[in-house]
Amino acid sequence: MLLSHALLFCHAAALFAADPVEVSARKILEAKCVSCHGAAKMAGLDLRSADALAKGGGRGPAVVVGKPDASLLLKAVRKEGELKMPPGKDALSAADVETLRQWIAEGAKWTGVSSAAAVPNWWSFRRVARPAIAAPVKPNPVDHFVWERLRKEGLTASKPASRAALIRRATIDLHGLPPSPEEIQAFANDNAPEAYEKLVDRLLASPRYGERWGRHWLDVVRYADTGGFETDVYFANAWRYRDYVIRSFNEDKPYNVFVQEQIAGDEIWPDNLDLNGSYEIPKSKLANLEKRIATGLYTLGALPVEDTFFGDQYRAEWQAEAVETTAAAFLGLTFNCARCHDHKFDPITQKDFYRLSAVFAGSEDREVPIVSRMGIYEFTRHQTRWVIAEQLKAKLMRLEAAARARKEPLTPAERDERESLLRQIGDAYIKAPVQVAKANLLMHTEPVPDTYVLARGDFQQKLEKVRPGFPASLGPAPEIAEPDHNLFIPQRRKALAEWLTSPEHPLTARVMVNRIWQGHFGRGIAGTPNDLGRQGEAPSHPELLDWLAAEFVASNWSVKAMHKRIMMSETYRFASDGVEANLAKDPDNRYFWRMNRRRLEAEAIRDSILAVSGVLNTKMFGAPVVAPLAADERDGMRDPLQWPITTDPAEYDRRSVYHFVKRSFRSPMMETFDAPDSTASCPRREASTVAPQSLAMMNGEFFHQQAEQFAARLRKDAGAPEAQVERAFWLALGRAPSSEERGKALAYLQRNSLHKLCLLLFNLSEFLYVD
Amino acid sequence: MSISSRRRFLTHSGLGLGSLAMHYLASRAEAAGPLAAKKPLLPASAKNVIFLFMHGGPSHLETFDPKPALNELHGKLVPASFGHVQLQFSRFNESPVLGSKRTFQKYGQSGTVVSDLFPNVAKHVDKLAVIRSMYHDGFTHTAALNWLNNGWPRLGRPSLGSWITYGLGSESDSLPAFVVMLEGGIKCGPVAYGNGFLPAVYQGTSLRTGGSPILNLKRAEGVSEQQQREWLDTLRWYNEKHKETRADDSSLDARISAYELAFKMQMAAPELADLSKESAATRALYGLDDARTRSFGTRCLMARRLVERGVRFVQVWSGSTTGDQDWDGHKQCDENHVRMAGKTDKGVAGLLEDLASRGLLDSTLVVWGGEFGRTPTSDGGMNGGGDSLGRDHNPYGFTIWMAGGGVKGGKVIGRTDEIGLRAIEDPVHVHDLHASLLMLMGIDHTKLTYPFQGRDFRLTDVHGKTDLVAKLRA
Repeated sequence: MLLSHALLFCHAAALFAADPVEVSARKILEAKCVSCHGAAKMAGLDLRSADALAKGGGRGPAVVVGKPDASLLLKAVRKEGELKMPPGKDALSAADVETLRQWIAEGAKWTGVSSAAAVPNWWSFRRVARPAIAAPVKPNPVDHFVWERLRKEGLTASKPASRAALIRRATIDLHGLPPSPEEIQAFANDNAPEAYEKLVDRLLASPRYGERWGRHWLDVVRYADTGGFETDVYFANAWRYRDYVIRSFNEDKPYNVFVQEQIAGDEIWPDNLDLNGSYEIPKSKLANLEKRIATGLYTLGALPVEDTFFGDQYRAEWQAEAVETTAAAFLGLTFNCARCHDHKFDPITQKDFYRLSAVFAGSEDREVPIVSRMGIYEFTRHQTRWVIAEQLKAKLMRLEAAARARKEPLTPAERDERESLLRQIGDAYIKAPVQVAKANLLMHTEPVPDTYVLARGDFQQKLEKVRPGFPASLGPAPEIAEPDHNLFIPQRRKALAEWLTSPEHPLTARVMVNRIWQGHFGRGIAGTPNDLGRQGEAPSHPELLDWLAAEFVASNWSVKAMHKRIMMSETYRFASDGVEANLAKDPDNRYFWRMNRRRLEAEAIRDSILAVSGVLNTKMFGAPVVAPLAADERDGMRDPLQWPITTDPAEYDRRSVYHFVKRSFRSPMMETFDAPDSTASCPRREASTVAPQSLAMMNGEFFHQQAEQFAARLRKDAGAPEAQVERAFWLALGRAPSSEERGKALAYLQRNSLHKLCLLLFNLSEFLYVD
Repeated sequence: MSISSRRRFLTHSGLGLGSLAMHYLASRAEAAGPLAAKKPLLPASAKNVIFLFMHGGPSHLETFDPKPALNELHGKLVPASFGHVQLQFSRFNESPVLGSKRTFQKYGQSGTVVSDLFPNVAKHVDKLAVIRSMYHDGFTHTAALNWLNNGWPRLGRPSLGSWITYGLGSESDSLPAFVVMLEGGIKCGPVAYGNGFLPAVYQGTSLRTGGSPILNLKRAEGVSEQQQREWLDTLRWYNEKHKETRADDSSLDARISAYELAFKMQMAAPELADLSKESAATRALYGLDDARTRSFGTRCLMARRLVERGVRFVQVWSGSTTGDQDWDGHKQCDENHVRMAGKTDKGVAGLLEDLASRGLLDSTLVVWGGEFGRTPTSDGGMNGGGDSLGRDHNPYGFTIWMAGGGVKGGKVIGRTDEIGLRAIEDPVHVHDLHASLLMLMGIDHTKLTYPFQGRDFRLTDVHGKTDLVAKLRA
């Protein structure tokens, strides 16, 4: 901090200023004030030049030359009156306040020109600077930064985790499933030095990885299969976006491309996908189709679908939702406040909100067929077969009704006709086309509607008109060149995507590596992944975060490389055990002296149980699975028809990420175990411990069914009770029981069924938590 | 316990409370867990709440806010002087005024006017403070239900009951602190009693009348209580063993105790639902002896039993989304209300009488109301057919009432205009209602905050006036 301020001071003030008081005062303004009262001009105030200072902001001049006590600036930093600056807990030291007082008293001199190039004073708004490692404490830079900090804080690192703990941790981290006994034994017996690295590589290469980490991303982008609110409409194509996410993680798509596709897949890779009259979209174009499906992100938010909610009002809500989701997911900032007024803590103005909102003006959610024109033709050509089938059915019913009316059986001729009709009906149904494949994508509208700042966010109260653009406080951003009329095809989202994924962007890489870190440690380096602003938690290891962010960009934004970099560290491989001396100093493990013990998420609990009981169906992708609910679980659902149960029971045992996510009715099990409600971006799951969870796991239908499956598997795998207990421990916990544990289990089995022991294993803390 | 060790306990107890969540709790010296009972910081006159929610929006014009002008204007368009309002289904300025068929009469010492829809509740008017000047701006069910229950017209905010539980904790160790009793589906779904961004321990638990009152409460088939006890003891043995080498992690302790609470709930909840111990007189008081009033009456009786057992916030719903069985009188509003009032009058009156005779009404605040009132104009025309003579949604002026919990009855607060369209005297916004309700419970609504998305959120957002409280207590 000191170093960067000194540099800043050289660049800006010192070049021009001679008076030491002026130098110090301007240094303070630059360090503490201009990130908001600079280019961002919060409350209209700019503190970067003498003129601007005299002009002041919405409350009048900031400085009355020679009269410090009458100067608003001084009143604000003294935090005595109504206006208290800087906002929040941050405050100027008494010495700094005195410097400012003296400077104003002596005439508030301002030599030379403005210091427009001021560096933002908030850590996350500054460019990522790759920290140099002069004298490495550890060969792995991750460890270097963590160890340095542990030493400074006087903390002792925990011992390395056992191999058994490590494979369980790594597998649950990357797959959301426990390792099989065979995998554990193979790892335990592999004495090669690269055994662990091979394990990490194997886990990253598995399709189970994308299902696990895709789900993490779906939390961030508030994914659901329905729209919420009273109508809670079914988003029949949302799953295509979900599959896109899973595939992207499995393919290790560079994160910058992942961001670009979701925001502007259509604008960056324009393609009408339907050129040569073939029946199917040519293979060469399927990649572009995938990029367009990525924009589905903006078609599945929670918005009411109601008669009275349309036009300007709908557009205002949709654009606001797009801004909030974009800010939370990609920028790691909360823009929500700025919809109604300038952000109270971060240099985000209300105008910034609407400039970003304008980026989404001229785009809208549309459901489009994703087959070629010939494919649609094929569908419409055969659509009449539905009519034919209906006509044939009517004919059959008339025939049967006539016979009933006569109270006589069918004549042989009628019987023949009936047979023939049944065959024709079947034929017509088979040849009738199914629904043509569609996707919800962002498309452009013409003309491009104007965007206005809206007073208190109310679509009826338009204030000034704004052009699309990006918050000035986040550094230089491209100008979006557009004609001065409204009839053009906008490229605004492209500009947003390119700005976000520029290697210089201060937030994009930091936000993502922080999320990845959180996925491995249960807590980010900055503890509030959707808020790296002033209201968020400051990072525990700023240098480590920056080093990882720089590394992320340098390795072509590879998410898998980032996982490996983190997982190969000794820090990741610490045991979760407590170290007595540390518990008092850092009880929350902010400095990562041990691995955090974590409760499995709702999906991981359910999927792990299916895996252990041996019935997990690993089929990937496709329309959401709707599994039946227990009778008492259906209560509170508006209409049972809104839970259309999937016909094939084999589907029920698929991974949770493929199950139906309904906004107005969360699956009770998912809800009990803290699955997000998907109304807005969820940066981090809660891990509650409540009695209804225990009730579900003691008495719930799903858990009992799975206990039965598990018992059946044990009976098949092993004969005698001793062998069954042995196998059960290996499958559920990845280890053999101790002799005491074995004895307890066998004694229990003498009076109770294997089913109950299986249920008990699912309920063990050791099963529900990962060390 | 120092603040930091308490924070550590809560963070590690896995109760979903990150260190930020300590914001409110950290200031409470007695906070020992997220559901520990906490003493309110302001003088409280109410300890528990029973919210009787009339789903669909009961007409104030047929119940507690008589408007003779409606009968005079019956069939005519609303005079232009009343201006325009937006409605969900009908066009206000093109719909004729609909008169009311109800007769109104003064009751009790206070002479509060009640319609003939509520002959039983009318006997208790001296306990009621009728607020005729409620308003908000949500003219669809979802927006309005969210307004009343969550203080915000859209999704994502915690419900009133969650906030109160967060603020005051629980007084029962074997039942949830916040209980909801539904008649069936509700139009905004479970968000009406959801915890929003508050930790999940504060969410409402939906209790069913008949069958198993809490989800998964019934032991699986063929498992006896004794067998389950053995199972739990065995489980505990393994979990304690697991904890031996993880002694510093209190979330594992919380997990172990959650099983014990679950086990207790299995017994406490059926005991709660067992109404056979109630005397015949009590059962009759709530209308349990009549098929028409039994269902709602049972929920009211359960509400009393819950409050007796220390449950903090109870919400009883009348009306479900299935089969047009709610107060949403778009068609034949009068017929609809005769039916709905007929089902509920007995139960509401029984609850007031029973609470009073057991001395529970002093500390229990009873609130009656729906998500909005209904329009003075007709919905569906005036031809008398099945779809006609309805009333549309009216959030601009409607009635709720309160009783008990320090509220002095026998009074009417506020006034709507001559046709009952808008609240014009002492208007009470939903935020004001919520702020006042919290104050009656001893909570300053500006202090009950939770940090989320970069700021401290409140039930009342940045609004809420509490001048209503003095009027209620006076």
